[in-house]
Amino acid sequence: MAAARRLKRAAVSQPGFLGLKSNVEPSDLVSSRRKRVNKNKKKNWSKHSDINDVEDFLEDIRHQERTTGGLLSEKPDDTLFFLDVGQTEKAENKEPEPVQGEKGKRRVQRPLRIDLILQHDSKVPPPKNVTAYQQPNAKKLRRIAQKAEQLAAKGVLPRRQKRLLNRRPADKTVKKAEANNNPDREFYSMWGDKEEEVTDPADPWYLQQTGKRVVPRPEKLNQKPSVLPAVEVIAPGGSYNPDFLAHQALLQEAHDVEVQKQKQEDKLQRQLAVRKEDRATEETILHEQVEGLVEDEDEEDAVAPNEDEADSAVAAIAVAEKKTERQRKKEKAEKIKVQLRQASRRQTEQQQQLFQLRSIKSSIKQQELKTKSRRIQRKARQEAQKAQPRRLGKLKFQAQDLEVQLSDELAASLRQLKPEGSILKDRFKSLQKRNLIEPRERAKFKRRLKVKYVEKRAFRQIT
Amino acid sequence: MGGTQKKKFERGSATNYITRNRARKKLQLSLPDFRRLCILKGIYPHEPKHKKKVNKGSTAPRTFYLLKDIRFLLHEPIVAKFREYKIFVRKLRKAYGKTEWSAVERLKENKPTYKLDHIIKERYPSFIDALRDIDDALCMCFLFSTFARTGKCHVQTITLCRRLTVEWMNYVIASRSLRKVFISIKGIYYQAEVMGQLITWLVPYQFSHDHPTDVDYRVMATFTELYTTLLGFVNFRLYHSLNLVYPPKKLAALSASLARVVSTAEEEDAQLDQFPTEEEDLEKAEAREKEQVQLETQKKIFEGLKFFLNREVPRESLAFVIRCFGGNVSWDKSVCIGSTYDVTDETITHQIVDRPNVDKRYINRYYIQPQWVYDCVNAKVLLPVEDYFLGVTLPPHLSPFVEEKDGDYVPPEKLKIMALQRGERPEDEEEEEEDDEEDDEEENEDDEDEAEEKNLKEMEKQKSQGKSLQVKVTPGKMKVENPVRLEQEEKAEEKRLAIMMMKKKEKYLYDKIMFGKKRKIREANKLAAKRKAFDDEEKAKKKKTKN
Repeated sequence: MAAARRLKRAAVSQPGFLGLKSNVEPSDLVSSRRKRVNKNKKKNWSKHSDINDVEDFLEDIRHQERTTGGLLSEKPDDTLFFLDVGQTEKAENKEPEPVQGEKGKRRVQRPLRIDLILQHDSKVPPPKNVTAYQQPNAKKLRRIAQKAEQLAAKGVLPRRQKRLLNRRPADKTVKKAEANNNPDREFYSMWGDKEEEVTDPADPWYLQQTGKRVVPRPEKLNQKPSVLPAVEVIAPGGSYNPDFLAHQALLQEAHDVEVQKQKQEDKLQRQLAVRKEDRATEETILHEQVEGLVEDEDEEDAVAPNEDEADSAVAAIAVAEKKTERQRKKEKAEKIKVQLRQASRRQTEQQQQLFQLRSIKSSIKQQELKTKSRRIQRKARQEAQKAQPRRLGKLKFQAQDLEVQLSDELAASLRQLKPEGSILKDRFKSLQKRNLIEPRERAKFKRRLKVKYVEKRAFRQIT
Repeated sequence: MGGTQKKKFERGSATNYITRNRARKKLQLSLPDFRRLCILKGIYPHEPKHKKKVNKGSTAPRTFYLLKDIRFLLHEPIVAKFREYKIFVRKLRKAYGKTEWSAVERLKENKPTYKLDHIIKERYPSFIDALRDIDDALCMCFLFSTFARTGKCHVQTITLCRRLTVEWMNYVIASRSLRKVFISIKGIYYQAEVMGQLITWLVPYQFSHDHPTDVDYRVMATFTELYTTLLGFVNFRLYHSLNLVYPPKKLAALSASLARVVSTAEEEDAQLDQFPTEEEDLEKAEAREKEQVQLETQKKIFEGLKFFLNREVPRESLAFVIRCFGGNVSWDKSVCIGSTYDVTDETITHQIVDRPNVDKRYINRYYIQPQWVYDCVNAKVLLPVEDYFLGVTLPPHLSPFVEEKDGDYVPPEKLKIMALQRGERPEDEEEEEEDDEEDDEEENEDDEDEAEEKNLKEMEKQKSQGKSLQVKVTPGKMKVENPVRLEQEEKAEEKRLAIMMMKKKEKYLYDKIMFGKKRKIREANKLAAKRKAFDDEEKAKKKKTKN
């Protein structure tokens, strides 16, 4: 940026420079707004002195030497210019003849113009190719070869070979990672026959810091989340050819479930049904229709009893009078009496308790029995709770329907058996029942953006 | 004063729990990834005892996890893999969008994957732990192996499940561990005893395929991922315990005869057992030996028998069960590979058919319905074949998973089977049947109510006498001779006197107990009477159709 400014200033300082603002003098543009610098200091000699013009001049000279072989001002005139006189007949006749005629002598005498033009005429000589002038020293070469043979015989490899060998060999066979569900995957002995050392012999601190320590599995995870067995066998009535009574028992169970469901539904219906009292009778319909049309004395009577009730209520909130001294003393005395009575009673009770030991014992025993039975019940309830599926999320666990075939659906033979229920669903429900997964519903398809419905132009015309 | 006051919800149970969304943000994972991680690591949500405290005063239903569990999750290397996969998906989508197919190819080749081996080792540190959880794994693998190979779930997963289930079944055959089978309307339940653990699993029928829409497939697929890995390692260990090669070759048809290798091993084991460990308890050792011998015989009920399966019966299930108990089995060549002999083989002893009739019948073999095989396995004894011929109404298929206690109702079929197990010959059963018929006729002549009451009372007395507390009484018999009857009466008198001499409290207790017992017995008898009524109806119907 500073250099550009310097150049500009140099251009502006030339005489005859016309700026855009014609009334402004060029000297003003140059001199104004410049910080005064002390040029007597050594620091400022190179910083603030402008030598661009000298540099340009010298560069120009070097350029001329390089390209045209010397300064243009020193070159003779006829190398730069020629006088264009126009082509005479003699010159035209001469040119084709020497070319067709004897070539050799004439050529040697006068070189071709193109050769002259293409000659190297720069003052800067081309660099010399040193190796072209080198002559191989046969002795030296022989000695080098002998030495190399001796070393090779010893086994020492030259540096180049060593580096090649140290280079890592290219991995041609890349081991492809095997998928876990590959049907041909290999298994090995996991619970080995010999006792392997479980812990690494290395220092535990080292292992932890380098991230190689195997974190032990928490103990609680080894407990099963439910006491239910993994596979629950169906009741004997579920056989494909069941015993009569077992089948009846299973049907009874299914029947009970259905009865429960029906009861729930009926209960709901009953709760939602209209009550008998609220149902409209003819009387009420008539009363409704006639309302406001007939003037009744009954209405006035109905108003009066309401007022009486209000008065009595008001009377009850009478103002409480202040207590007199007498009353207060009386109250105190009564209080003391009651307290004494109670104290004496307590004393006699304590004395009598000695004689009531037997009954006290029996009552304690009864209480203990009660608490024991309650404890047993509570424990039993807790155990039953353990067998129940836990509530692990938004949805409750829905037990699946009993797999049962009605008497007329039972198959006569194994060939005609029609399987009931899906094992996939059964396993899924079993996993939920044993608290391994939480009960889930199929995720609904929710659209992020609303769908717009637009009628086609043709339809719009019709409707 | 302000700084030292205790603030609510800053300690105690409120700080032990963390909500699901907070946990997800702490791990910087998306919700499906978080769910998948929790399933793989075995971290389950907890319901806190005092919800209000944990939820900071509100009772809105939220999913809570223990904070320690989530902190443990932070050290899991799989979390990094999940993030890499997310980035991979993003890059892939970009390459697709810009239609840079070379980039797509390159990315697909270097798809990030993860292995679950270290998780299995961490969750199941010993082999027995893994065996305890193998029920679930087996059910899932069997379920997935029956899925159709459309693109809905990874076809690779289905193939892997198929391979693992076949390996497992082969192990059960080789080690003869199958104990119970139950054919239900849901599927087929199997129970095997492996290394002292009882393992129950459920196999769906091959032809049932309705995929319900409210099941979350991603969750099931994640569980299956974990369980396939677990089952693979368990299989490896089990095969090595039997000195078999893992993975076995040519298993698809279940007719590889690996049993030869196993039987020699078993014989060696049997000989070793004879050395008595405790010399004092000779009786116990003898009892144990008896049990062992019994078990051994029960494991070989189909030995020497040759079966042929017709086209319409469930081939895999039957082949599995028959081979588990030492039988030879084959089927038609066109059904599946691996059939060893054809229909025309003369040495076939049983042919399993499910049609009403068969065109060509060979002389040396029985034509029976498939339920015979299953019932024999449950009864641990070869049942008479006549009840299972073609066209015969089959006896009901009883559940082997039901244990009947004293006094409970026992279906007559089960009684028959128990009799067979004890070794009574079928002729006695025929006599009993005749007696039953005579009794029926008698009852029809008398008043039915009186007869029933009499029977009930007698049965009550019998059973109550058989299980009385204090007084020892010989069990009464139905048809009794005179001197024995006198004895019985004397003893009854004694009992009555003893009861009269009891103190009030003791009498009260005694009455209560007897009442409870009698009630149970009465109920069982009621059910038996019901069953009888039903059977009579059936008989009447049959007679009508005959006439």
